[in-house]
Amino acid sequence: MTPLEVSAILFPLFIILVIFRVPVAIALGLACIPVFLLEERLTPFLLMNEMFKSYNSFILLAVPFFLLAANIMNAAGITDRLVRLSRAMVGHLPGGLGHVNVVVSMLFAGISGSSTADAAGIGSLLIPQMKRQGYSTSFSVAITACSSVMGVVIPPSILMVVWGGLMSVSIGGLFLAGVIPGILIAGSQMIAVYIFAKIYNYPMYPRSSFKEFFVAVFQALPPLMTPLIIVGGIVGGFFTPTEASVIAVLYSVVLGGLFYRTIGVHNLPSILYNSAAFAAISLFCIGTASAFGWLLAYFKVPLAIVQFLAPYGVGPTSTGLIVAGCFLLIGMFIDAIPAIIILGTVLWPLAEVSQMHPIHFAIIGVISLAFGLVTPPYGLCLLIACKVGDIEVKNALRDVAIVLCPMLVVLLIVIFFPELILALPKMLMAKFI
Amino acid sequence: MKKIIDGYFSFLQIVLTMLMGILIIPVTMQIFSRYSEIIPRYIWTEELSRFCFIWIILVGAMIALRKNEHFAVDLLPPPKTHKGKAISLFFVDLMAFGMAVIFVVWGWPLIKFGLLQTSEMADLPMVFIYVAWPITGITWMLFLSERVVDHIKLFRSVAP
Repeated sequence: MTPLEVSAILFPLFIILVIFRVPVAIALGLACIPVFLLEERLTPFLLMNEMFKSYNSFILLAVPFFLLAANIMNAAGITDRLVRLSRAMVGHLPGGLGHVNVVVSMLFAGISGSSTADAAGIGSLLIPQMKRQGYSTSFSVAITACSSVMGVVIPPSILMVVWGGLMSVSIGGLFLAGVIPGILIAGSQMIAVYIFAKIYNYPMYPRSSFKEFFVAVFQALPPLMTPLIIVGGIVGGFFTPTEASVIAVLYSVVLGGLFYRTIGVHNLPSILYNSAAFAAISLFCIGTASAFGWLLAYFKVPLAIVQFLAPYGVGPTSTGLIVAGCFLLIGMFIDAIPAIIILGTVLWPLAEVSQMHPIHFAIIGVISLAFGLVTPPYGLCLLIACKVGDIEVKNALRDVAIVLCPMLVVLLIVIFFPELILALPKMLMAKFI
Repeated sequence: MKKIIDGYFSFLQIVLTMLMGILIIPVTMQIFSRYSEIIPRYIWTEELSRFCFIWIILVGAMIALRKNEHFAVDLLPPPKTHKGKAISLFFVDLMAFGMAVIFVVWGWPLIKFGLLQTSEMADLPMVFIYVAWPITGITWMLFLSERVVDHIKLFRSVAP
């Protein structure tokens, strides 16, 4: 079969199944079956083989652990401490709680690698407070959902672990490269909050005294050490990303169980179960997505795309725009992890030809997919935030779109200025870049 | 019958919780053995954790099917009539059933293959891992057939 024939079976079949509400993981697997049966050299046995190979990975183990660490931190009430600190930092700006929401998401992103834990934990704490202070529900939901996407951009990040593991890119390098875009996104959102606050006259807190500020910093210091331990440990070569994720779990247990004494043994089973159940759902999808991606690679579809686009002479910037466009589009419809497996492998040859740096390629992909977490129809963080705020998704869309605009500018900056994101990794781990 | 399925479901939930707890141990050992002399540097920790992980994913996938938690996308407007709703739900379940059949039919060769093979480091028989696929298939079939009755009831019911 030619690359075109295979694509003509795989993609339409997958899309039709998804439209009729077949779960994405199952749709990906079923779309592969006709190709496995039609091509005489292949058999559906390979579906399971590819699933096994993708699950049998030590790096992916980091996914449930980072989720577990985030959930333990949430249960231990660490979020409250971060909120207090953010309030002391930015609460006095117009639209105080909105800024607090952004800053606390940024701090939490440094502790957790998942945006969903961020949206659920911070949303349930801040959305009710924001409503009480007179913020519109749609704005509260929009800013919670949009700020939570920093979870996957600021290290540690589950998406970067998956990306690095799949495409053999240095995970430490990716983590470092995510720092600056993450801070830029936070800045862009604070601008959005400021504009909203000026238009709708949102309230602010009185400025905190220096003493209050230092007390808040002191109380939040132990959880704020987490990113240093994780990123420092990986970049310094003390442990692997998977081991770092376990360290994060142990550290969160120590904080919650011994230091703050907010969680006990009786909390653990439900936290373990919820983390495992949620991680398993996205990881299961990795298996069938890998089979799908394997078929694309087997029939040389990525090569065909490169040959198709090569005559147009694509440079790193135009390739960056294509990559961002593709990931933004697919991110609207499917979960980020299978999107990485399918599109990442398809687009990588193109990026390689245009001499894009692998880390630059990865960061564009991760940020674009982070947008996908808040874009309908399938934006997990938006769905969670809407559930917490108790409004329908369509009522929050206008405010989400407004908050997303400055974030798009950040994405463009990242595409046009690769040196900006590569500076930190080059400085701290020059050997591996 | 429902009681049996409920019991099996709770059993799976307990297994998932325990596996997640167990998973922490080998990786922790791996780190501490590298930086201290107390624990010997076992080579099987990495393999054991990978195998627990595979089971976590598949047990999680079994549980998620019954709770309807596998990610799906809402592109079409929801069907208005009970009949339409029943048909669309039935179609989704039928597709999942197809996947389950594939896991069982092409999972047998996987088991046979696994009987001949042992793992690289700990010498565990690989069949303990490969058997997870047919078990997932059978479990899905069980959970899906339980739902067929509900779909038929919904199909026959008069719209309110």
